[in-house]
Amino acid sequence: MKKISRIFLFTFLAAVFIATLCLRCSLAQEAVKTPGSLFYQANINYQEAKYDAAINDYEKIINSGLESGNIYYNLGNSYFKKGELGLAVLNYERANVLIPNDSDLRSNYDYVLQALNLEPQLSGVWFERIVYSLFRNMDIDSLIILLISIYIALIALLILNLFINRLKRFSGFIAFVLIALFILPAFALSSKINYFNKAAIVISKEADVKFEPLENATTYFKLNAGSKVEVVEKTEGWYKVKRFDNKLGWVNKSVLRQIVD
Amino acid sequence: MDKLKNIAGSLRGSILSLAFVFYILSFALPCFARELSFEATVDNNKVSLGSRLQLALSFNSSQDMPAPDLPAIDGFQSQYLGPSTMMSIVNGKVSGSITHNYLLLPMKVGTFKIGPFKFERNGDKYTSNQISVEVLQGQVQNPAQPGSQAVQEPEIGDLSDRVFVTMQAKKNNLYLNEVTQLTIKLYVNRLGIRDIQYPEFDHGGFSTAAFGKPTQYQEARNGINFDVIEFNTSIFGLRPGEFKLGPAHIKCNLIVQKQRKRNSPFASNGSFNADVFDDFFGRYETYPLDLKSGDSAFTILPLPQDNKPANFSGALGSFDLEVTAAPLEVKLGDPITLKIVISGEGNFDTVGVPKLKSEKGFKIYEPQVKQEANEKRFEQIIMPMSPQVKEVPAVSFDFFDIGSGQYKSITRGPFPIIIVKPEKEEEPKIVENKQFTSAVPVKEEQLGRDIIYIKDNPGHLKKKNQYLYGNKILLASQVFPLLIYLLAVVLYVKQQRLKTDLRYARGLLAPRKARAGIHQAKKYLEKAEVQKFYDTLFLTMQEYLGDKFHLSSKGITVSVIDEHLRKEGVVEEALTRLKDIFRECDMVRYASSQFTQSNMRDSLKRLEEVIDYLQRKKA
Repeated sequence: MKKISRIFLFTFLAAVFIATLCLRCSLAQEAVKTPGSLFYQANINYQEAKYDAAINDYEKIINSGLESGNIYYNLGNSYFKKGELGLAVLNYERANVLIPNDSDLRSNYDYVLQALNLEPQLSGVWFERIVYSLFRNMDIDSLIILLISIYIALIALLILNLFINRLKRFSGFIAFVLIALFILPAFALSSKINYFNKAAIVISKEADVKFEPLENATTYFKLNAGSKVEVVEKTEGWYKVKRFDNKLGWVNKSVLRQIVD
Repeated sequence: MDKLKNIAGSLRGSILSLAFVFYILSFALPCFARELSFEATVDNNKVSLGSRLQLALSFNSSQDMPAPDLPAIDGFQSQYLGPSTMMSIVNGKVSGSITHNYLLLPMKVGTFKIGPFKFERNGDKYTSNQISVEVLQGQVQNPAQPGSQAVQEPEIGDLSDRVFVTMQAKKNNLYLNEVTQLTIKLYVNRLGIRDIQYPEFDHGGFSTAAFGKPTQYQEARNGINFDVIEFNTSIFGLRPGEFKLGPAHIKCNLIVQKQRKRNSPFASNGSFNADVFDDFFGRYETYPLDLKSGDSAFTILPLPQDNKPANFSGALGSFDLEVTAAPLEVKLGDPITLKIVISGEGNFDTVGVPKLKSEKGFKIYEPQVKQEANEKRFEQIIMPMSPQVKEVPAVSFDFFDIGSGQYKSITRGPFPIIIVKPEKEEEPKIVENKQFTSAVPVKEEQLGRDIIYIKDNPGHLKKKNQYLYGNKILLASQVFPLLIYLLAVVLYVKQQRLKTDLRYARGLLAPRKARAGIHQAKKYLEKAEVQKFYDTLFLTMQEYLGDKFHLSSKGITVSVIDEHLRKEGVVEEALTRLKDIFRECDMVRYASSQFTQSNMRDSLKRLEEVIDYLQRKKA
């Protein structure tokens, strides 16, 4: 009887050991696939100058449906090291959507533009440019939080105004200030969303912008890698784009990539 | 011997003199070789008897020609007025001209030929052109005064021979994207034209540049001198095929002298309404003109596909390529500047960056481009990245030569370079300053430039393209602050009513106070304190009815109940119950021992039911 119980105990322990081992293995495999581990693996590849492998790993994270400003920043660096400056600009622009106040990003972006002989261009009328410059360092979510805060403050002011008589003397002025504070970031937010949804970057070395969406159409003007354009219209395989000087033309879809897919 | 010497000396002198004469002639001859043109023009080719005509005989490229003796001209009498000279400098070349002016007086009606005039000087013969002039009997177009450019009012009708527009291209058969010059000229003969606008023309199928600054000069056309305003632009065809360009329109204003109407001295408005200044100066009015040229036919040919080079990027014209590379001795990773200049004639918009034969071992940056009138400059930075690199690869440029109708390729280089091994970099010297503890480099520090290193953490990871503005829950929750505000408004209004409307306030408090009274009465019921119970019940009922119907609580009696509550529409049963409770309360004062706990409970229940009824009735 004792022998049987020992065999049973031994079998049980062995089964537990094997099960634990399998679990650990599967956990280890899972760990390799997490975005964090992919990121660190990509960084190692970058350090070893394996830029293709690094790009592959960073893009795996993005293809899994996740993104962060740091990933796009590192991806931009990898493309720059690889010599694909158009794609570097694209990824710095994407990082700029998420971490616009990052000084490293600004420095690298300026450096790449300098290497491409390009200058940053702010589009829109003067008022749009001023508002955009005012809120340049705020990302979209921060602007929304700011707007909600101002909105709640305005409601709170209206409620307090009902019950506190002393406040009534200043409430008009405070409300005016809050409304003005609301309009500016609201305009900036609208401009940013509009810009990110329409802007596109030339990723090939040179792109022919044509008069018609046809391969044999006459070239109107050329765009260099990293140039920024506004996508006005889309047809199958072609984008109608507008340059900073408002020149319009058709460009093959393959040479452009939109900042927000 | 002496004679021989003299002969040799005189021969040498003659040879030297001859050489000197030839030397002088070699300078003088080009002056005579210059083409001298002799041209005759008149200011109008229609003239009436009794009026005057001005004839101008012009010698171009010389200013020292005397006035030719004018032969007798059939139908005219002539009189020399004098010379006028003009000097012009075009592209650094100085040229002069002289014009001898004559006055011609028509003597009879008819069509007369003036010229050709012949003139001889220093053995050279010059012959002018011939001009046809018509002399009419009646009034003909005449300027108001010599020198005035205004026309009189009735002459506006047909001015097509005095003001018109022409359009002409340098070339009408073009290749696709080939640039040609288009010239639009406005001709004006002795008319006052103002406010001339830039030409407009239909240019479907062509790309056009903006017009340059117009030039103004005089041109003789069919013997008549015109003032010409010339507009130039460049055009190129966008599609192969047959196209028509134009007509070109030029809008301008014609200055017309309004003729003064002679009013009858007997007219009612006679001289009183007439502007006295009209008599002296006349009046000028402007008439808008829209002048139209003819159109111009073009044939746009496609570029041939045969022998088209692989690197051809659409450049059209006749070009030359110059390439320089510097420095030719560099360290690994140091930049080499390639200066590429494409010069010549053609469409420089179609000129792209010339390609390097090979980019292996180099890091190539995008070039900086500068475009001027007849050249395009590229400055390209390349960096040798491998020590095996021995030369900058050759640069080639492919274009379509319009003159020969063939594709051409120009190659420059390769340029041999030397990659030197990096030496140990000179470190900046630090000089210690006795006064200050910190040390600064004496030499100006050369800072390197590269991208900043990668981030070591992934940062805030979030779902791709998901922003707060797309979060429906967050957007919906923005209604809550608004609801809270509405609630606060309701509360505020209620509070204000409680403060100002006493009836409303009492009615609102009535059930609360009644509940408190009933609660107190229940306590007395449990203790079986009859007197206190009914006193509480009575007080509760009085206060409730007083508050509810906005009456004095102390004055609530059975008769008041009957009178007021009936008016309020309270049902008879409720009134009876209230009266019963009142009676019971009265009875307790005299015979409290007759009331048991059961009676008390019954009274309380009835009061509760009546209050409940009255509350519901309100609702």
